[in-house]
Amino acid sequence: MEKPRPLRHTWKGAAHEKIPELRRRGLPVAHVADAIPYCSADWALLREEEKKKYAEMAREWRAAQGKNSGPSEKQKPVSTPLRSPGMLVPKQNVSPLDMSGLSLKSDQAVLGGIFYFLNIFSHGELPPHCEQRFLPCEIGCVKYSLQEGIMADFHSFINPGEIPRGFRFHCQAASDSSHKIPISNFESGHDQAMVLQNLYRFIHPNPGNWPPVYCKSDDRARVNWCLKHMEKSSEIRQDLELLTVEDLVVGIYQQKFLKEPSKTWVRSFLDVAMWDYSSNTRCKWHEENDIVLCALAVCKKIAYCISNSLATLFGIQLTEAHVPLQDYEASNSVTPKMVVLDAGRYQKLRVQSPGFSHFSSSNQEQRSNTPTGDSPSGVKTSGQNSSVRGRGITRLLESISNSSSNIHKFCNCETSLSPYMSQKDGSKSFSSLS
Amino acid sequence: MSGRARARARGMALSPSAAEVGRVQASPLPLSVALSDSEASSSSDHVGTSRISQKCEGGLSSGDAGCTFKERVGKIRREMMDLSVCTREKLAHVRDCKRGSSGIPVKLVTNLFNLDLPQDWQLYQYHVTYSPDIESRRLRIALLYSHTELSNKAKAFDGVILFLSQKLDEKVVELSSETRRGETVKMTVTLTRELPASSPVCMQVFSIIFKKILKKLSMYQIGRNFYKPSEPVEIPQHKLSLWPGFAISVSHFESKLLFGADVSYKILRNETVLEFMTDLRHKTGMSCFTQTCEKQLIGLIVITRYNNKTYRIDDIDWSVKPTHTFQKRDGTEITYVDYYKQQYDITLSDLNQPVLVSLLKSKRNDDAEVRMAHLIPELCFLTGLPGEARSDFRLMKAVAEETRLSPLGRQQRLARLADDIQRNKDARFELETWGLHFGCQMSVTGRVVPSENIIIQDHICQPVSAADWSKDMRTCKILSAQSLNKWLVICSNRAERVTESFLNCLRRVGRPIGFNVNHPKIIKVQENPAAFLHAIQKYVDPEVQLVMCILPSNQNSYYDSIKKYLLSDCPVPSQCVLAQTLNKQGMLMSIATKIALQMTCKLGGELWAVEIPLKSLMVVGIDVCKDAFNQGMVVVGFVASINPRITRWFSRCMLQRTTADVADCLKVFMTGALNRWYTHNQGLPGRIIVYRDGVGDGQLRTLIEYEVPQLLSSVTEASSNTSPKLSVIVVRKRCMPRFLMETGRTLQNPPLGTIVDSGATRPEWYDFYLISRVACRGTLNPTYYNVIYDDNGLKPDHMQRLTFKLCHLYYNWPGLISVPAPCQYAHKLTFLVAQSTHKEPSLELANSLFYL
Repeated sequence: MEKPRPLRHTWKGAAHEKIPELRRRGLPVAHVADAIPYCSADWALLREEEKKKYAEMAREWRAAQGKNSGPSEKQKPVSTPLRSPGMLVPKQNVSPLDMSGLSLKSDQAVLGGIFYFLNIFSHGELPPHCEQRFLPCEIGCVKYSLQEGIMADFHSFINPGEIPRGFRFHCQAASDSSHKIPISNFESGHDQAMVLQNLYRFIHPNPGNWPPVYCKSDDRARVNWCLKHMEKSSEIRQDLELLTVEDLVVGIYQQKFLKEPSKTWVRSFLDVAMWDYSSNTRCKWHEENDIVLCALAVCKKIAYCISNSLATLFGIQLTEAHVPLQDYEASNSVTPKMVVLDAGRYQKLRVQSPGFSHFSSSNQEQRSNTPTGDSPSGVKTSGQNSSVRGRGITRLLESISNSSSNIHKFCNCETSLSPYMSQKDGSKSFSSLS
Repeated sequence: MSGRARARARGMALSPSAAEVGRVQASPLPLSVALSDSEASSSSDHVGTSRISQKCEGGLSSGDAGCTFKERVGKIRREMMDLSVCTREKLAHVRDCKRGSSGIPVKLVTNLFNLDLPQDWQLYQYHVTYSPDIESRRLRIALLYSHTELSNKAKAFDGVILFLSQKLDEKVVELSSETRRGETVKMTVTLTRELPASSPVCMQVFSIIFKKILKKLSMYQIGRNFYKPSEPVEIPQHKLSLWPGFAISVSHFESKLLFGADVSYKILRNETVLEFMTDLRHKTGMSCFTQTCEKQLIGLIVITRYNNKTYRIDDIDWSVKPTHTFQKRDGTEITYVDYYKQQYDITLSDLNQPVLVSLLKSKRNDDAEVRMAHLIPELCFLTGLPGEARSDFRLMKAVAEETRLSPLGRQQRLARLADDIQRNKDARFELETWGLHFGCQMSVTGRVVPSENIIIQDHICQPVSAADWSKDMRTCKILSAQSLNKWLVICSNRAERVTESFLNCLRRVGRPIGFNVNHPKIIKVQENPAAFLHAIQKYVDPEVQLVMCILPSNQNSYYDSIKKYLLSDCPVPSQCVLAQTLNKQGMLMSIATKIALQMTCKLGGELWAVEIPLKSLMVVGIDVCKDAFNQGMVVVGFVASINPRITRWFSRCMLQRTTADVADCLKVFMTGALNRWYTHNQGLPGRIIVYRDGVGDGQLRTLIEYEVPQLLSSVTEASSNTSPKLSVIVVRKRCMPRFLMETGRTLQNPPLGTIVDSGATRPEWYDFYLISRVACRGTLNPTYYNVIYDDNGLKPDHMQRLTFKLCHLYYNWPGLISVPAPCQYAHKLTFLVAQSTHKEPSLELANSLFYL
């Protein structure tokens, strides 16, 4: 994280101060943690001096807490604020008591939170000694919440401007190997200033708070540079803070399980091919030309991934706004489904369910390998169960019992949420060998 | 187009070089040699070397390409760096003798020539300083060379470091010269080192000497090789000409200094860019001419015959005309027309042509600015073969007929080069002043090891030809195969009929080899990648053993999206077949056999085995490959055998962000493989032999210091009492020496299983050459093996034979292949990931050969 650690409390201080106001507004705020999602946007707007004030407050607060602050802090149900989740890593050694403290309400807050996923494509990356590092050519952005799924999207081609002399080949090659947008004579490319204006209008239609905007960490440098570049040409100044999706996923995951998922898992979680050709995912031009890489599609696929694996954990029924359901609708009557139950008891069930059944396949081994070692969760009905296991099954069994309802649920949270997958080999120690 | 040019053409020129790691850990010697020619060559006079300060496009200059002497010093060539790594002295069992014994001796002719030196020959390295200091390299050289003391001595000088074959009288010599402007310059020549002939620095000086000699034989350096434009081979029907040439090297083998030469060709098109443009204008008309022109030309490699240099067309500047002026290095303005007239005596005919822009590679490593060259289309010739020409069968045949030399033809070309060097007066003089004598061609004695038996389920077969035993195999039962009960076939509507007949065929060929194929579920979809992917997502469930896709075209998006989904998102083995392939009715049986064998492997079957006398041996193959999309990524593939018979394989693959082809994750991989071995065999392997492919020049030290410890630590941690013994062997498919067998009066390629472990090997390494494939036309390239770490202490003979045995075990080809099977598997795996999926395959597939 780029920010120094103390800020975490600083920020909390600000949230603390907000609680009364939020209560007045009739919001169900019991703890600082509950308030945080409501404040995150406000925080972004604070000026540096104002932030400092809260930093001071935080320091005092910590001093007052004294030596006890450690454990008492743990007692507080830390619902991870999604703005900068990495800063609020809950301690790994949370006691079982704490887990029960995770209230449904804070879940609700996460569910309602609105995020924006943004991506900007460039015609390649020019070498570091060039003044112009990127040539923005396409932008995509979606408005998303766990509850609602994709609420709106924004897409535009951008006129990259004049290609620096001598780099035509470089840019052409980069484009050909990725998004294939023509580097010149492309009519759809809009003026940079206009695109930026439209984007800001999309993200932030009303004066006041700027919502959090996310992109994949690999793309962050490029998106940031492009935004700055476009700002320069349009003379619009907005210090939009770009956060990484990886941190967001880590945050949501922690919120639910109070455990930090592995980096590898998060990365593979976001990099799936299954929606590459889904309808209503790519922009019109990329769809028509059948090119997978599209800025809008990248954003939408982030939303799909989060919906498909994380939103389900919060008990949300997936709608067309969450994942491209319509593509899979037809299949639900044919595919037999295999369900893998925990603790080595594997059971085959034939249920009516849509196509992602294979996700739950053959993870028996992995599960038995996971070093967490908690007891098999079996079938539970309580919603508060914080463990990954069982939840998928719970929901599946529920769906069987309510088979009258033909709501499609993606029952793959089981496997896609096995962050230990990548460690399978490494984590197994050699003690078994010698 | 050479490999490098291709890579450049793909736009990778800007990626940092892979040698970074090697360079950091360079040899302990003070590195100093990077001399180009000692004569003040006008080596880099691109026309109009401009700077991209973007403000003044006209700020061009010419002449010496801004490369003062300072940048030239301090680099040692990469392949030379490997030579200072002495691995053999640490291996006690081969310190005295690294030669094997089994097999029938065979006399082989090499492409190496003896270079004789006097016993006490030494190279003297001097450091030269100027007072007052002079920047220009040319002036520095001219001033020093004007001295009588040096004029008739053999010398090489790059502006700072001077090499002489004879010692000067004094350790420090003071000289003074006068420039044309009348300034007196004092030069101090100080002796810094005396180098024996075996020193790596000397090798580089020898290379420079031969560079001069070849120049005197009117050969020009293009890239790394030397070509003779005066004797082109014309292929008029395809507007092509081939320049014959050589790749050369001077190196110290076993006890002798040897000069190696290999025949090479440069393919040129007899068409200038201007002609190409005019042609295009007639075809397309004026309206979209510039666009089509840019589309077709940008990225191509051109050669300018006036200086025989190659450039990539990076851009076309339509606004600049030959009548425009540019600024030369000295600041004067000159038009392109005048410049060419003055410099090369070339008259430009078309004064309205645009100029081509090429980015020049910065020779210095600091990224101060981009330099560009403006080139005149009229003077640029296209090189290499364009994509469409490559698929032109007749053209490629015509080229192959010329370039693929028979063993005898190759020998004749080499003999002529040797003859030229010995006869040319200037060349001979150059050699003599250095005290070198160009000797005769060297012969070595190799051994042909006995051929191997192939073990199939019920019997052992001695194949008629070790190169291809598919005929011997046709009705034999393979070692083990899972029957294919539940599987999917996805095909387009159009391909339905061929699919049906193919499936019948598959069942027919499957039965005799022991592979039972049940009826699949056939899904017909529309012809687009999305439809294929949707069908897969819809119908694949955990019971499906395999998905077969009959692809309507070899468009990448089909293959890539299917593979990516079925490798990572939803791990199921998959088999893609082009519908086009199945249309060849006559060959359907053999196609079906090949696919049946591939499918068995993907399901975890075993096809055949060879006798491996070592019990409890694990062999490992490692390959490293650059990701096709992502410049900073390399894909590391790791394949290890998990049974003593060496028929079952475990694989891991990882993408890592690095600029060097060095693997990070070997410990995890090795631990995983040992785990897997343990579960299958209830114990650890006694020996592990690792074959490492994909090693670049100059990376040997990094390998020893970085990769071997990773493997070792995993192996030693595996067990507390007796850990497995480890050996690491570097495999290189490209190497300088070639071997030809004398039979009566003519020459032939050596037979399969020929091993050379003397003469052409290096004294400081435990290395050998092995020929494990055949060529029906052309000349064979041996594979080079260098054992860099060896705990096993196997006799060299056993190590060589084992390597040969392992070349039989690649299941995608019923015959010998040029590298050990684990290497080829690792290569297949990395290639699949680097080209198509760009993502780690799921671990659930790790036990099968899903990447075949």
